[in-house]
Formats: sequence, C-alpha cells, structure tokens
Amino acid sequence: MAMQSFRQRLQTKQGIGIVIALLSGGVLVYLFLTPWALRKLSDGFYLGFFNMLSIGLLLLMGLGLAADKHRKEVPEELKTLTLRGFLGVLGLAAGCLLYFEVMRRIGFLVITPIFLFIAFFALKLGHWWRCVVLAVVVTVIVYLLFSVVGLELPHGFLSVELPI
Amino acid sequence: LFDPAALAAALDLFLHWQTFLWLIIGVFVGTGVGAIPGLTASTGIAVMLPVAFFLPVAPALGLIIGVYKGAIYGGSISAVSFGVPGTPGAAATVYDGYKLTQKGQGRKGLEMALYASITGDTLSDIFTIFVAPMVAVVALAFGPTEKVWLLMLGMVLIGALTGKHLLLGLMSAIIGVFLASIGRDPMAGVTRMTFGQWWLMDGIHLIPLVIGIFAMPVILLEAAKLLGERRAAGTGEQEKRKSVWKTGPGLSFQEFWRTRKELGIGTVIGSFIGMLPGLGSTPAAFLSYALAKHLSPYKKIGTGVLEGVAAPESGNNATCGPTLIPLLAFGIPGSPAAALIGGALMLHGATPGPRMFVYYPDVIYALFMILLVANIVNLGIGRIFARVYATLAQFPKPVLIPLILMLAIIGAYAARANPYDIVIMLFLGILGFGMIVVDMPTAPLVIAFILTPMVEENLRRALIMNPGNPGKALFGSPLAIGLILAMVVLVFFTVQFLKKVEE
Repeated sequence: MAMQSFRQRLQTKQGIGIVIALLSGGVLVYLFLTPWALRKLSDGFYLGFFNMLSIGLLLLMGLGLAADKHRKEVPEELKTLTLRGFLGVLGLAAGCLLYFEVMRRIGFLVITPIFLFIAFFALKLGHWWRCVVLAVVVTVIVYLLFSVVGLELPHGFLSVELPI
Repeated sequence: LFDPAALAAALDLFLHWQTFLWLIIGVFVGTGVGAIPGLTASTGIAVMLPVAFFLPVAPALGLIIGVYKGAIYGGSISAVSFGVPGTPGAAATVYDGYKLTQKGQGRKGLEMALYASITGDTLSDIFTIFVAPMVAVVALAFGPTEKVWLLMLGMVLIGALTGKHLLLGLMSAIIGVFLASIGRDPMAGVTRMTFGQWWLMDGIHLIPLVIGIFAMPVILLEAAKLLGERRAAGTGEQEKRKSVWKTGPGLSFQEFWRTRKELGIGTVIGSFIGMLPGLGSTPAAFLSYALAKHLSPYKKIGTGVLEGVAAPESGNNATCGPTLIPLLAFGIPGSPAAALIGGALMLHGATPGPRMFVYYPDVIYALFMILLVANIVNLGIGRIFARVYATLAQFPKPVLIPLILMLAIIGAYAARANPYDIVIMLFLGILGFGMIVVDMPTAPLVIAFILTPMVEENLRRALIMNPGNPGKALFGSPLAIGLILAMVVLVFFTVQFLKKVEE
C-alpha cells in the first residue's frame, strides 16, 4: 500500500520535480569536487561556469516544479506507461547497442535480418514466417538504397573479396 | 541587399540534377512521415540528416526542406482521411476535414488541404525572401553584448513557449545548455564535464544528438505502448482504421476561390507566428482556424466546410518559410525544423546568422530558390500520391519501429564512423523518452544546444572587450537592456496570449 502510494506520488509533477532536483544536486556536488570547475581561464572566465549555471538552474526549477500549482498532476504518457513497457524500452535500447556492436564485427547484411526478425516478432507483427520474409526484404532494400546514396555500411566478414 | 554575382553562383548551385533529385526524395519521404500519425517533421529530418551530411550544400538543403514542407502538408492527409492528425500541426484540420470525408467529400477535403498548404507556403516564402535580408542588416549592427542577450531571448522564448508547462520547457532548454557545455570550451580549448571519458573531449556531435532527441524517443514511446499491450498487435487499439475516403468530386476553382479570405487569414497568421521563436505550426493552425471561424460565422466553419480546412492548412504551412527568418537574420532557430536546417548549414561550414548574407550569399539565394521550388514539388507529389499516402497512414507500427531504429543507428554511426556516437545517441534517446513521458518538450533542448556555444563565445568576447568590468560587458548598452526587457515582456504577454487561445 505504502509502496503504491510512493509510486503514485513519484508520478506527479511534484515527484518529477524532486527527482530532477536530487539528480541536479548530485551533479552540482560532483562539479564542486572536480578540480576544473572553478578554474579561472586567462580571460577571467570560470571553466565550469556554464555547467554550474545550468545545473544550478535545473535544481531551482526542479524545486519550482515540486512546489508549482500543477504539482499534483500526472503527465498523460506517464499514466499509461507500464513497467513492462518501460523495461521493454530499456531492453530495446540495449538490443540496439548489441545490434550495432555485432554489425561492426560480422557486417550489416548478416545481423540486420536477425535484428529485424527479433524486433518484428517481439512487437507482435504476426506469424514468424512473415517476420522472416519482411526482415530479409527490408534489409536488402535498405542496403541497396544506402549503396546508391554512397553511404558505406559495415561489411564485416563479407568484405573479403572473393577470387573470381 | 542584392548581389547579382551571388545570384549567378546560387543558380549554379541550385540548377543541378542532384538538388532536384534530393528535393523530390525529401518531399516524398516528408509527406509520408507527416501522414503517419506519431511521426513529426523533426523525426523525419533527424533520420535524414546523416544523409544530408554526405551531400553538397544545395542537395542537402533540398532534402531537409523537402522533408520539412512535405511533413507539414502530409499531416493533413490522415487528418482528413481518418480524423487522426498525422502531425500536431494538422490537429485543427480534423474538425472540418474529417467531417468532409464523412459526408463523402474526402477528395475535396484532401485537395483543399493541398492547395491551401501550397498557397500559404508560397506566399510566406516570398515574405521571407523580402524580410530576412532586411532584418539581417539590422542584426549586423549588434555587438557581442547584444548578441548574448538576443540569443538568450531566443532560447528563453523557445523554452517558455514550447510545450504545455513553462518550467518544463525551460528545463529542457537548460539541459541543452548543459549538454552543449560538455567537451572543449570554445575559446581556450580546455576540456570540461567529460566524466573522465576521452571520447567526450570533443563534445556531443549534432547528428547523434538530433537523432537521439527527435527520432529515438518517439520510436521508443511507440515501442513501449506496443510492448505494454498484452494482446497481439493486430487487434484492439491497433485494429486498422477503415478508410472512409471516397473518391467523390474534386475541388473546383470556384470552391478554392471562395476560401480566399481564410487562406489570407492563415497566411498572415502563419507568417507572423512562424517568425516568432518557439511557437511553430500548431498554434498557427489553431489560431487561423479560430480567427476564420470568428470572422466568418455565416460560413459555418466546424460543420465540415472547405473554409475550415483552408484556414488551418494555410496557417500551418505558412510557418515553414518565416521560421527561417530568425535563423538567417540572427542565427536563432525558431523551431526544431529551423534548428535542423541550421544544423545542416553548419555541417557544411556555413554558420547561420547575419554574416551568412555577407560570406555565403550564394547559399542563401539557393536556399530561397529551394524554398519556392519545394512548393511546386509538394504540389505535384501531393496531387499524384495523396491516395497512396492515405494508405501509408495505416502503416503497421511493428514494422515502422524496428525500421526507424535501424535507420537511426546507421545514421548516427555513418556521420563520423565513431562507435561512441551510438552510445551517446542511445543515452539521449532514453533521456528524450523520459522527457516525453514527463511532458517535457524536446525541441528547446536541441535549440539551446545549438545556441549555447554562440552565447558563450559572445559572452567571453564581451568580457575580453571590457576587462575587469563584467557589469559593463553584460549591460553596457541600451540595446542590451532593451533586449532584456523585451525578453521579459515577450514571454509574459505570449504566455497570456497562448492561454487565451487555448481557452
């Protein structure tokens, strides 16, 4: 019950403001601990001026949001966002990073159909064979389009020239 | 103000098959992006920006401006066909546009949207061509102190007026300032805020930032919605909307001419709002619609009449040209699209601002030519493919999301072949996703990111010119004080005005 109430409070603009203020406060402390932030340059300007100014303003505005007259409101998108959806987004971002890393090593043409198939399937496009066909077709079209434009995509091991 | 030699050089830049090809591709892609609900002009430009990086300046501008103009018009296709605005700027078109479709006059509605968009866009482009150089002449007289406050004025206006909440908009701009201050400082070249990471020493590049903030969050949000659903994507809310667009009769010239008053209202309001940083096409469309309704009660706007399509559509497209006035005259991008056009110019070494009229007049003239010709291309593509785009509006999200993710990854990497750009892009994508979820607009972040180095450079120049006297450096001219007052007054009155429009 208490957990539920805490979660609901966190979703309000007040909760968002407090989270932003706490994060900004943390960065501000970090800035003060660094040796460069208060270093004066030859023109008399402090190296960390803009960093500290922006983080300081963010801290103040976070507190302002927490005390604002709309503080009890919950943003529309936050209301509908589920934990499953949020974890899915993080998973998708991690998947993108993994896709890129593998693409650099084994090449665009090999990994892209696999990546697209997994994504189509996870997003419930339909039968697996439909996902496979679409993944292959999309990969080939994108590869051809980028080749026409002159943008070179990672070849991976396919870059080995075959002795003809 | 007019340089015949530059005009000849501009014609040389412009009259090249590549410029026309990329302009056509841009409009083609942009109209599709606009027609698909959920995707905006900024998403389309962000995905195409890496391609523009590899093109010469005129084709790059053709591509970006084509996507922009196409997307602003494209939003009306799904608004008229299905009652779902493709872009926020087309939301006001739904009222009368969809009612026309329900009456079996969908074709008329679509044609009216197209002709109104082209009319508003062309007239406002001509206005831009005449006004931008004149304003730039004034801006040339500004010194570093005035420039600092002018840039601040732009940044604060954009932060305050974008989105639903003043504080959230300003916070977005401040995050942009923070991100821009990562890496080497622009005067001494000393690194800062790199968290000890060598790959942050050169700061954050524009392309991963733009893709991360404009393209990724939209896609991640759609993915979160799909993944959050327990049922299969082809059912429930994802059920395909049945097209109610009947062929019906087309628009006659008499019907088009009957809407000239609404077209005029839309064009004037759109041109004016387009010039102001931070407002963009959505308020222009709503205000044009509301004013047209108020001024012509006998026309029964709101019941499914052509005038109700003409006013918002001419209004939203009329912002396209004038949004470049603050960019070209002062170096302040007035909208996300203008920021991205400015970014494309910077990627080609031409920093937008009044000096661009002096150093790159050929690029400016070529830009003006592209603005005008893009309308003709938009007209042709809209006329031929409107029906196809109406089908595209139903493009399944499970296909679209992975496709754009893949293009975003390739695009972010292709610009500099730097693998860390992908890390930055994904990090910013999650940040942008978080911003959208908490109702924080993302446009002020990108615009502030572009403006901050200019603010810092001018601020430090002002400090060097007034050694030991920061007060004089910041407030030493009447113009600077005037700009500070203008900032306060403009934000106050515009917020009040927008509240009234909303009511």
